[in-house]
This record gives sequence, C-alpha cells and structure tokens, in this order.
Amino acid sequence: MNKQPELVKLIDTTLCTACRGCQVACKQWNELPGLKTKQLGTYQNPPDLQWNTWTLIRFQEYEDKAGNFQWIFRKDGCMHCTDAACVKVCPSGSLYYTPLKTVGIHRDKCIGCKECVSACPFHIPKYDAKTDKVYKCDLCYSRIKESHAPACVKSCPTGALTIGDKDAMIKKAYARVKELGSDANVYGDKFVDGTHVIYVLQFKPEVYEELPVNPKVPLSVIVWKDLLKPLSLLAAGGVLGGAFLHYMIHGPKYPDLPKDENTEGGK
Amino acid sequence: MTNHYCDLKNADVILIMGSNAAEHHPIAFKWILRAKEKGATIIHVDPRYTRTSARCDFHVPLRSGTDIAFLGGMIHYILENKKFFKDYVLNYTNASFIVDNGFNFKDGLFSGYDPKKRKYDKATWVFDKDGKGIPQRDMSLTHPRSVFQLLKKHYSRYTLDKVSSITGVSKENLLKVYEIYASTGVPDKAGTECYALGWTHHTTGSQNIRTMSIIQLLLGNMGIAGGGINALRGEPNVQGSTDHCILYGNLPGYLKMLSASLDTLDKYLHKYTPESKDPQSANYYSNYPKFFVSFLKSLWEDKATKENAFGYSWLPKMDDGKHYSTMHMFDAMYAGKVKGYFCVGADTAVSTPNSNKVRKAMENLDWLVGENIFDNETHSFWKGPGVDPKKIKTECFLLPAAATMEKEGSQSNSGRWVQWKYKAAEAPGDALPVGEIEIKIMAAVKKLYEKEGGPNAEAIVNLKWDYLDSKGHFDVIKVAKRINGVFLEDTVIEDKAKGTKTEFKKGQLVPGFGNLQADGKTACGNWCISGSYTADGINKMASRGKEDPTGLGLFPNWSFAWPVNRRILYNRASCDVNGRPYNPKRKLLEWTGDKWAGDVPDGPWPPQADRAKGKYPFIMQRDGLGALFGPGMAEGPFPEHYEPLEGPLEKNLLSSQRMNPAAEIFKSDMDQVANASEKFPYVCTTYSCTEHWCTGALTRWQAWLLEMQPELYVEIGEKLAREKGIKNGERIKVSSIRGEAPCIAMVTKRFKPFTVDGKEVHQVGMPFNYGWLFPKDSGSDSTNMLTPTVGDANTFCPEYKAFMVNVEKL
Amino acid sequence: MQKGYVQVTDSYERILHWMLAISCLLLCVTGLGMMFQTFNFIGYLFGGLKSLKLVHNFTGLVFAASLILVIRMWWKEAGVFVFPEDLEWIKVAGGYLWHVDKVPETGKYNPGQKLFFLTVVGAGILMIITGLIMWFPTALPAGLVRWMYPLHALGFVAIFAFFFIHLYLGTIGNPGTVPAMLTGWMDRAVLKKQHPGWLKEMEHEGKLVVYGEEKKSGAHGHHA
Repeated sequence: MNKQPELVKLIDTTLCTACRGCQVACKQWNELPGLKTKQLGTYQNPPDLQWNTWTLIRFQEYEDKAGNFQWIFRKDGCMHCTDAACVKVCPSGSLYYTPLKTVGIHRDKCIGCKECVSACPFHIPKYDAKTDKVYKCDLCYSRIKESHAPACVKSCPTGALTIGDKDAMIKKAYARVKELGSDANVYGDKFVDGTHVIYVLQFKPEVYEELPVNPKVPLSVIVWKDLLKPLSLLAAGGVLGGAFLHYMIHGPKYPDLPKDENTEGGK
Repeated sequence: MTNHYCDLKNADVILIMGSNAAEHHPIAFKWILRAKEKGATIIHVDPRYTRTSARCDFHVPLRSGTDIAFLGGMIHYILENKKFFKDYVLNYTNASFIVDNGFNFKDGLFSGYDPKKRKYDKATWVFDKDGKGIPQRDMSLTHPRSVFQLLKKHYSRYTLDKVSSITGVSKENLLKVYEIYASTGVPDKAGTECYALGWTHHTTGSQNIRTMSIIQLLLGNMGIAGGGINALRGEPNVQGSTDHCILYGNLPGYLKMLSASLDTLDKYLHKYTPESKDPQSANYYSNYPKFFVSFLKSLWEDKATKENAFGYSWLPKMDDGKHYSTMHMFDAMYAGKVKGYFCVGADTAVSTPNSNKVRKAMENLDWLVGENIFDNETHSFWKGPGVDPKKIKTECFLLPAAATMEKEGSQSNSGRWVQWKYKAAEAPGDALPVGEIEIKIMAAVKKLYEKEGGPNAEAIVNLKWDYLDSKGHFDVIKVAKRINGVFLEDTVIEDKAKGTKTEFKKGQLVPGFGNLQADGKTACGNWCISGSYTADGINKMASRGKEDPTGLGLFPNWSFAWPVNRRILYNRASCDVNGRPYNPKRKLLEWTGDKWAGDVPDGPWPPQADRAKGKYPFIMQRDGLGALFGPGMAEGPFPEHYEPLEGPLEKNLLSSQRMNPAAEIFKSDMDQVANASEKFPYVCTTYSCTEHWCTGALTRWQAWLLEMQPELYVEIGEKLAREKGIKNGERIKVSSIRGEAPCIAMVTKRFKPFTVDGKEVHQVGMPFNYGWLFPKDSGSDSTNMLTPTVGDANTFCPEYKAFMVNVEKL
Repeated sequence: MQKGYVQVTDSYERILHWMLAISCLLLCVTGLGMMFQTFNFIGYLFGGLKSLKLVHNFTGLVFAASLILVIRMWWKEAGVFVFPEDLEWIKVAGGYLWHVDKVPETGKYNPGQKLFFLTVVGAGILMIITGLIMWFPTALPAGLVRWMYPLHALGFVAIFAFFFIHLYLGTIGNPGTVPAMLTGWMDRAVLKKQHPGWLKEMEHEGKLVVYGEEKKSGAHGHHA
C-alpha cells in the first residue's frame, strides 16, 4: 500500500443472510478456537461477543407496532472509532490507532487491566482470564496493511460486507440508504468523530438490540483522562512547589526551647 | 437447473418455494440479491420464516406438503385470467395436442388405476395421432380433449377458497403471489423458480416440480434468461453424483437401469429409444443406442463385442416392478435379506427415515464397510444407544477416505458446470481417495474371480479399469478422459447435412456426444459430460475465462457445462418461431439466417418456422414441445394435490383419494403411521441449517461450526409453546408414532399456526444434522427417529418434510 | 539515644505506619506507571507492565490490610476531633502558615495530623473499593465500572497530594519529628512545643516513658 488511505468497512445489514461465514472466517484467520456452547433457544451463538469471538451475528425477532415481522441480523464487532474510548483509557499502549486509522491491538502489550472493557461504548473488548488479556477485532490489520480485505469481508458471499476508502464508502452507504428509503439510515459516521465500521440499517438504531443510539466516549473517561489526569499532576506539582515555598518563606518549625527546660525533662 | 446460478440475476420475479436458498446456497444467493437490487421481486413461500424469508420482499407461510394445491391455484389463476403467454403456449408446448378418448380423471384418480398394485396403466395417457403417426393438434385450443382444455378443467377445482383451506395460506397472500408471478407471462419479463429439498422430500415431490414446469411453460419462462426451473442442489457435488448415477434407477448420464424382462440389448434399446414420426421433432434421445453402447464399451472395451451384445448380459438387472432405493434397501435388510453393506460417504443411520428401523436392520448384517473421513453413527451402530455390542454379529470395517480438498477431480454445481479442482492438501495417514479405494477393492475382487470364478464372473474379470498411474495411484485424468469418450478404432464420421467427412484416429478423444457410435467404435463413460476433454487434450473443466459476451452472465469459457457447454437448456424457446428473441433486452440466442448466435443452441437446426429443416425447441422431448401433459409421471399427467402419508386431515379436501395413490406403502412392523391422530397433532418438517451439512457427520467435528449450532433443537411457534407451557431454551421431547427425539425448544415468532379446513394447525420444524456419536454429551440423536419410511412415487425420495408429531415438556 | 527522650510510638505502630506508607508509595509509583503512558517505563523496574499491574493489585491488598489495622489503632487518637482545643488550633493553622505567639495545645495528634489521617482513611477506602471493582469488573455493569476509574484517580489525587505534605511536614518542615517513626523516641523539647497537651496529659497520668527511667507498666496502648 503506497498511500495509506483511511479505510471504512461497510456493513449493509439489508444484504446480510446471517450465514455467519464472517464469524467463522474471523476465527480462522485469527486462529481463535471454537468453544463449547449450548443451544439457548436462538441461532445467536455464542450468546455474545467473547474473547474468541470478535465478530458475532446477532439474531433478533422484531415485530413492529403494526405487526410486521422481520428477522433482523446484525454483525456486531469493533466499530474502530476515530475518538476511541478504549485507546484513550489503555494504560499500556496496547490499543492504538493504526496508520489506516483503525484501532489495532498489540496483544503483547496488553496487561489485562480491563479498562477498555468498561470504557467502550459498544461493549466490544472482551477479557480472557486464562491469558489475562483483552481481545477484539483489529479489522485484520495484518491483512489490510497488505491491501487484503479483512477475513470477514473476504468471506461474505452476498456483498453485505465491503471495505474501501472512507469517503467512497460513506457515499456508497448514503446512496444505498436513499435507494432503500423509509427508515433506512447510515450508522457510524456521525459520532465518536466517525467510526471506521459503518452500518446501513434498515430500521432506526433504537430497534436494534445492543446497539447504542447515541454512542460517545463515556463522560467518566473524559472526566478521568481529560480532567483528573492533568489535575493529579497539578496537585502533585502544587504540593511539591507549595512545600518548597513554605520551607523557603515560612521556614521549618524548630522547637525553640531554652536548654534548661530540655535537661529538666531528662531527670 | 435448467439455467444456472449467475442467470438468477436476470429474473424479474423469483419464486423461492421448496428452498431455503439463503441458508443452504449462501454463495449462490448473491445472484438472487443482485436481481433484487435491480428491482426484481423475490417471493418466499415456505412453512417457516427463514433466513431466506428475511431477505425476500415478502414471505408467505404454507402448510408442509400442500405445494401442488398452492401451485394448482396459480395455474387456475393464470388460465382464468388469461395471463399465459399465448404465442409460446401454442407453438412450444403440447397444449394443442388431443388426448386419447379413454383418458379421464375422477375423484382424485386418473384412468387406468390399479388399487392393488398402487400403479397406473398408462394406456390412455396418450395423444391422438394422424395417419402419419404425428400427434393431432387443435391450434384454436378449444377442442374439449385438447391438453389446454383438460388442463383448464383439471385446475378449475383449485379455487382460491379451496386452496386457502388446504394450504392455510390466506386468500390475500395467494392472490398476491399469483398476480406478481403471473405478471411474467409476457415476452419481456422473466420469472424463475428456485427449489430444493423442500419440494423433493414429499410423497408428491416430483409432481411439485412438474406443477411448476406447467406454470413456467404457460408463462413462457422456459429456455429464457432469468427463467427456468432451478433445483438448487447440495454442495459440493450432488449434481455430479446424480449425473454419475448415484440413484438406483440410473446408469451414468441418466441412462436407464436394466430390468429383468429386458433380457436382450435390442429389447432394452427398443424400450428406451423414443420414436417420433414428426419430422420437426429432433427427438434427440433417438441417439440413445449410441450413448448406451458407448457406455458398455467404456466398461469392457475389447471384451464387449457386437457378438456378445457389448456385454449387455453382464450388467445386473432389477426385478420388474421392484425398487432399490435406500428405503427399499433397509426394508430388505430389516427383513434379513441383505447381508453386506458398503456405506460410502454416507451416514444412513442418521439420514434415512425411521432411523430406529434402519439401525435395527443393520443388526442383520454379516459385514459392514464404511468409507469416510470420520467415524459416524452408521459405522458405529453396534455401540449406539440401546445397543448391546455383545449381541451384534456384524463385522464392521472403516476405511479412511480423503476429504474433498485432499484430491483432484471435478465437481458439478447445480448449473451443470463441471468444474475442475485441485488437491489442496495431502490426505492424512492411510486415507485414500474413494476412487482409489474402489479400484483397489475391485482389483482384489477381480483377482479372486480370476482364480476362483463365480456367478457372472465375466462382468468382473473383463472389466477394463485401467485408471491407475505409473505409481499405482488413482489417476483422475484417465477417468476424466474416459468419461469424455474416446475412439476405439479409426473412424470416419459423415455429416450428411453439411456434406462433410471427418476422420478420427484410434485413441483420440471424442469432441462431443454427437460423435458417439452405436457400433462399438467409441467408449464413453457418461455421454452428458462428453466434450469436457477436447480431442487435443485440453481439460475444459479447468478453463477459467471470465468473458461474458452476452452480458447475461453465461461465462462460456468458465469450466464446462453439460450438455456441450450449453448454459441454458431449451434456449431456442427464448426466440419466436422465426428465431427472433422474444425479449431483445435479454438476447440469449438469435437466428442470424444461417446459424444461431449467443448461447450454445439446443441443436444447430433452423427455427421451427422453417417447415423443412426447422426443429421444435424441446429437443429432449419425444414430441419436441414442452409437456403440459406429462404422461411420464407415476401418478398422472397432471399433478394433483394429495395429502402427505401423515397429515392433520382425515380427508383430502379435493378428492376422496387422501394420499398419493402411486406411492409405495412399506409394511414392516416398524413402519407405523399416525394420520390425523390426536396423539400426534402437530405437523413437523425437517431441514438442514447453514452451519451443518446433511447428517452433520462431517461438520459436527468442526468446533467453529458446532459452536454456532451445538445441539438438536425444535422450532416452535409462540402460541403452541404457550399452550404447552414450553419455555425458550428448555429441553423437551418431540415424538412421532415411530420414535422420540429429545431436543431444545426454540420458541419463535417465525412459525405461526395455520388455519386448515377451518381448524388451527400448528407446525414445528427440526434440523436433521445431529446424531449420538458427537458431540458426546448433548443427548441429541437423529431427527429421523421420527420420520416415516415413505417416498415419492417416481424417485422414492423420502417424505422428510411432512409428518405428524407431538411435543411435550420433559 | 539521649537521656530524657520520650517514647512516642511503639514498634507495632511504627511497623504499621511503614507498611501503610511503603505500600502507598508503591501503589502511587506503580499506579503512575499505568496511569500515564509516559510513565510506562516504570514497568521496566518491575519486569514489565504486566507484572507492574500484578504488583499494584497485590500491594493494594497489603495497603488495604494495613489501612484496616491502622484505623483500628489510631482511630481514637487521630480520627476524632476534640473541641474546642482542635478548633483553636485550626484557627491559627497550627502556626504553620503565619507567626503565632502561642499555638493552642492539642492532644497527641494535632488537627492537621488528624485531617491527614482522615484523608488517608477516606481516600484509602475509596481506593480499595474502586480498585477491587476495577480488578474484577465483569461482575458489574460497564456503566458503573466506568466511574471507578475517575474515582480511583480522584483518590489518587488526594492521597498523592497529602503524601507530599506529610512527607514535608514529617521531615524538614518539622525538624526533630522524624525519629517518632524511626526510633519511636522524641526530644521532650520538641514534644513540648508541638504536642504540649499530650505531654501534660501523659505526665499527669504518669504514663510517660522516658529514656533512662524505669518503664512504667501500662504504657499507652495501641489496642483500643
């Protein structure tokens, strides 16, 4: 890749057949094991994203108020935010922005602190106690940096998953939404400074399970990273400086006692 | 498929009925979505709302086993409302033919029925002929015995009310589908149909497809781009296995299996070589002897001579009137008549209906040989649930086989594309390609026969199977060339029409099946595939050209499509009688005055308006025309709705003939039936899922797939679940009169109760991908514990899709 | 040890003090290593950030245990303000900020020290609770867990600031006080200046332990 473009993966949910080729392809490329599961009364399995499942097709039986039924499929996974809460909170530099503007993960640097797990507005990073590390989709950085499509995109038989230059993909998404009409909308380009995974949704975002309507970097993260971090430095600096000034200006508090009193006490 | 996968994009309306295309043909489904993106309407008719329904314009639920009623209603609608494509119907179908005076249909039965044999005498299912022996026609279509009028009369009984009452589909939904689909009965619109096991897995399976054929002929949708009837076959090679005679009634290339009464080659050829007196009918099967003799030569080469009728007597023959399907085989095994069993690439203890009977039957075997990449429930039946290994006398062997990606060869997709593929990895351990296993076993058997002799020893001793390479391994190229066909002697072929003579040398590959000879000069393993290996040694199956000169997605240089690289069958019907395309925007073929341009045409002859040289378009039909009246079928020339073996109704609402009168009834003590029984009040259907393949014998060992679909489940509508107090995710029991299947309840909005004959009928559905062997602790076993031993009257494809069960809390 | 020095702490107190102090310091250092990527290098001292995290987490347990014992030990002396004496002391800020002729007499611990103690107790408990939740976050909703981080940081700000104040006042800010937590013996003169109230009380009760004098039984107990 000569010039590194800003990549966006487009998930057109209206073309997804929930074949789950992406779910398997992801595990294959990233060498993630299949774990033992149970049938819980749904096709969705594993029930949620987990350390070995970086992308998951969510199955949702949706009936609107008029009684129209739709089986909704949504491929869940990392949204690759431009302003990524996980990168913000990551203490070790494990989570980082790649040159392609996606959010990569250096697993060797991960210390398993799980800060990203709670910070992510999309609930994406998942912790594995056995390895004491956090896992999530890195948009197949090993592939995209060599100009190959991510495993999920490569495996998608219907064209529901595509990847390309950001502007082109956003344009494509809006064109598709216009074509679909009614409630169809583009999800992802308008928050956290734009995600690098965007959806074409058939319904309004609030219809979808586990999909935040207005995701943002949590206030707690802002309070902490943007406020308390500098404040703590300020406080530490202030105390050190204050002590120094106190010593210089006011001086230490010597015990100013006559000698006899001192000896007297020694009796 | 009459057409092919890429061609689905050319359709204006796609009716997906009897198929869950998105789940089972996920790659091919993109062509359906492409049509949709271009504005096509996609309709899904299925008992259950599936992943396919989710991507269609709309879903119409119908009760399992009532497809003929649904489609019969559509025929009625088309004829009543004059939506048919008149020019096409008149010229390209047998609508105008006059049917024999003795033919009739009364209360669900056609003329000639023998209730004892459950079989028809088809003597009256014939056309009146003129003095020359050519069928008589009434081009006004008004003759009361014309096929058109008989068709109209037959389906006039399929009124909206009647059909709705049988199928459980609302009248609004029926009309909606009929209107949209019938809109393709004009020259510039194309409608296609995709079906799969949802149609074939019925006692009326073949007739389901026949009904749709009638609709497609009426609407002029056969032979056109974006039209046809498309069987979506299983991956990776179900089409290939049928082409190469996996079914008991076939020899390679759909040649007929022999039967005892046809004791000479002449008798056999006379029976299966159709005769037409109509000079405009190409009647291509008149070449049958060439295909058949070349096949015999491919088996025995020099040992098959004119004198010994090319070894005809060496081929095994079926007893007349007897059938040898999987169900018949296990029925005989259960009766103790079958002693040895080769189970190659199958898991019949899971896949065959009434698994309890099948497993019991296997206990009567002396030996069992499995050839597979994994152990499965069949090879290990002797240690299955409830079986005491000490009491099993069967000696079992399992020969490790190479997986599909561990061997080179061809695979055929549903569009008849025979595609070459290469070996991706070495097979592990002692595993060998099945072809090599067979050849080695045969070589050993041959040696024994050479030494010891035995019944019909010549067939074995003379067998010419020189398919090993210099290192003693199976050589697929040699096999591929033999399938293509080869000249066994120097041959000169004269084309009288063109006035040419072509010379071929001994050992040269034949250019196509048109060069095959009935005199023993050629050998050909499968005439359909002939032309796949060119005379100059090019493997056309391996060609990968992406050129698309017509823009219709024919991709003529990608692999080889049988026959003769024709991408759309009956393609001459896409043009009018003068060879002008009906739809110039989707020009599949065009007569340029001296030849056809476009796809490989169905024969080189001029269009049929040329009374001297022109031919009708349906060249594989004896009469050259599309068969609205189809006497080849076991249960009648017009499809009729019959209830499944087991259904919720005591009576067929259309006639007093409840079930298919020609379907064979199995009568062993384990073949019990419970129709309209209070004990088993719910309709059940079975199916596969995207994540597993067939019995799951291959896919259940794959952790990624098992993680997504770990164990057996039953899909139940919310209302039924409420009535039964069943919670989502709960372990419950599904039972039929034949067996039980404990599984997990999946309570869903995707199954809704039907109103049938004024009563509420619930339907449930289960996948058939599980067995007891693996995963070990799931408690799952085969869904086929529940299914009945019964099948289609023509093919004996089992009725997996409609039977009766009960569901209970554990 | 000079004659006439007064014992102000026993070994138990001093050990606990230093356990708390050292664990606190270690937590601050290791915490900093994880809080700022620019301080990630601190991880090298511990054989990598991952072991640094482990050190931080388990040191947190030591800190928690020490804090509980410290609270038990010092609550009566340092956890409760005594009025009006303490108020008087606060009014003049203990004479630390401007010149005061006579600093009001207080108990063993002056309100400044009490304030420090209470801050350590409060912030410490906050750190323990938030820290534990952060250690095992999956048990609680992410929306709640998220707030543990800023709270933990807030606690850090407080502790870190007070840590330096304490360090300064306990060393060069108040010459002569260091020995209290090293040897446990202090110059009586320093005591007279800084903790006259306590000195008087001890003398009055006859509990004072003076170097070279016979130790009286029932010296002030830490076991409340």
